[in-house]
Amino acid sequence: MLGPSGSGKSTLALGLAGLLGRDVPGTVTGTMEIGSGDRGLVFQDADRQVVMERVEDDVAFGLESRAWPLQAMRTRVPEALADVGLADRPRAVAATLSGGQRQRLALAGALAPDPALLVLDEPTANLDPDARTAFLERLAALKARGSTTMVIVEHRVDDVWPLADRLLALGRDGRPLAEGPPATVAERDGARMIEEGIWLPRWLEPPLPAAAAGRAGREVPAAPLVDVHDLGYAYPGGPPVLRDLELAVGTGERVAIVGANGSGKSTLARLLVGLVRPDRGQVNVAGQAPYGRPPAERASLAGLVFQDPELGFLAPTVDDDVRLGLPQGPATAARVSELMEALRLPLSSYGRRSPYRLSGGEQRRLSLAPALLREPDLLVLDEPTFAQDRHGVVTLLGLLGAPANEHMAMVVVSHDERFVAAFATRVMELRDGRLHDRAP
Amino acid sequence: MIGLAALDDTRASTPLGRASALVKLAVAVVWLLGIVVAPDPRASLTLALIALVAARWLGAVPLSDLVRGLAPLVVAAGGIAAFTAVFAAANADPEAVPLLTLGPIVVSVAGAQAALLVGARLLAIGAISIAFATTTSPTALVDALVQQAHVPDRFAYGALAAYGALPRLSADLRSLREARQLRGLRADLHPRLLVALLVLAVRHAERLGVAMDARGFGRGPRSHFRPLTWGPLDLLVALGGLAILAAILWLAFVAA
Repeated sequence: MLGPSGSGKSTLALGLAGLLGRDVPGTVTGTMEIGSGDRGLVFQDADRQVVMERVEDDVAFGLESRAWPLQAMRTRVPEALADVGLADRPRAVAATLSGGQRQRLALAGALAPDPALLVLDEPTANLDPDARTAFLERLAALKARGSTTMVIVEHRVDDVWPLADRLLALGRDGRPLAEGPPATVAERDGARMIEEGIWLPRWLEPPLPAAAAGRAGREVPAAPLVDVHDLGYAYPGGPPVLRDLELAVGTGERVAIVGANGSGKSTLARLLVGLVRPDRGQVNVAGQAPYGRPPAERASLAGLVFQDPELGFLAPTVDDDVRLGLPQGPATAARVSELMEALRLPLSSYGRRSPYRLSGGEQRRLSLAPALLREPDLLVLDEPTFAQDRHGVVTLLGLLGAPANEHMAMVVVSHDERFVAAFATRVMELRDGRLHDRAP
Repeated sequence: MIGLAALDDTRASTPLGRASALVKLAVAVVWLLGIVVAPDPRASLTLALIALVAARWLGAVPLSDLVRGLAPLVVAAGGIAAFTAVFAAANADPEAVPLLTLGPIVVSVAGAQAALLVGARLLAIGAISIAFATTTSPTALVDALVQQAHVPDRFAYGALAAYGALPRLSADLRSLREARQLRGLRADLHPRLLVALLVLAVRHAERLGVAMDARGFGRGPRSHFRPLTWGPLDLLVALGGLAILAAILWLAFVAA
């Protein structure tokens, strides 16, 4: 099931799982008939669906809810864990598993009651490519067994496309846009779907429009704006995450950093903007170390945009949120309202709204505002295309590539190959705590 | 820090690890009441010592865990005791017997005794809580609440889920503080930040609730994957706990 942000994919997923109007309030019209048998639902965020502290207890949770007898549970729990490749970790504490393992644990929990219908709402969105492959292999095995009907909601469909027998695309208005076998739908309705903001697999759609040319060139700039030398970092009591890390970024350059989950990308982002103190080595932006500088000065050196916009909202209205921490006065007011126009969030219609109630795309654009308003020398973005539909990403490329941002160095941490290809002038991979050059 | 955490299998298989969390909780509560009524710091300190020894030898809790849990409490108890000694009302009594005079500061014997009692009580409360927390996993507590105390599922599992969400909440708080720094503001606990944290916590709780419902929670009576029954061990722990308390109170009130 595909659809742009706000088309109601997740709502339909809840409906298929039988939760709408019962556990999730709201008004349901029309009818939905689903054959007998149990249903299971897997969500995107592993954190929100693991209830018990130990792996086997968590798998058993859904069976206990259905009042399975003890003996049946003791037989079924190891089977479900084997189905997701966690047979050897029944007593592990769930919080100590990797993100990919936790997501497979959630799958085991949904599969344990042997549901006739399994609904998966963007189950791989938080996973890195290896973990995603491991997860989808399990779904392919389930499909081969043929006993479970699966509905998979996804934004990024490259990996699940070959699994699908049928495709349902929802439009922005929440109505069905196209339905049928994937190949047929792509051929017949592909153009309309792209226009609606839906991602098709990479091989079926044109590449993203490149952001306006930044200063290209793979050679390291002579006088870099951002200069990182011999950087090392370890979490307290942990092994080093980053070591001997070198990075130089010139004015106008746009560097993408890719790497597996847990390779230290987000830590590097925080080190670059001075939120975290390096254990070793230096981070310099425009000749100054951002860490330890007075807050306002630091903010004008380097800005960071979080993966999850909601974690950065600090006020109940859009207007208060963008102004927070800026000096008051007509000059600020003019700059704020100009930028908000450019972000397509004019204060006249968005100013009084709650940031938490905006759509995913609107939240993403709003999250850029605090950083852009401070005109930092370095702008770092952590997974900026996460959960964005095609429109959202095209808009983001346009905003970041705007001529007004030419004076900045930009560093993007991202899994998103298509975005990286359209955005970056240079791609580096973070591996074993160091950055390695990679062809863009 | 006192907090429940999953126990490793060795610790879970010790007598205190296997005893019902409810029995341990009941003994801990009764001991805490005993501490409050006993007028003698020695009674409190003895109970504290027994609690720690029990955690170490009957619960296989590593000494380092106990020390780490107790260290901040020793500091706090010491600080509060010192404060009590200096500012005790008894010091102002002109008939008080001075124990120590430092310039304008007079510590009377009665003041020192009050301080000792307060310090010993605080230490004992801490030690007993640590002994309970280090021998009880959240799962064991919820299982006992649901199966043995017949607390409603929604309350018990809701509390467990909320407890499990604490690390997430602290990660959210870190992000919000970073967000303030990114706007050139101090990362202190501004009320605005706490409101934002509350919004995130409520949203997280809603999502977790839906995820639990999706797994059939609350649709009917539950069965139990980790069935609990009362056993002789529970009786032994209960009686042992009461006997120890009775002996100590007897020594404090009657023998003294």
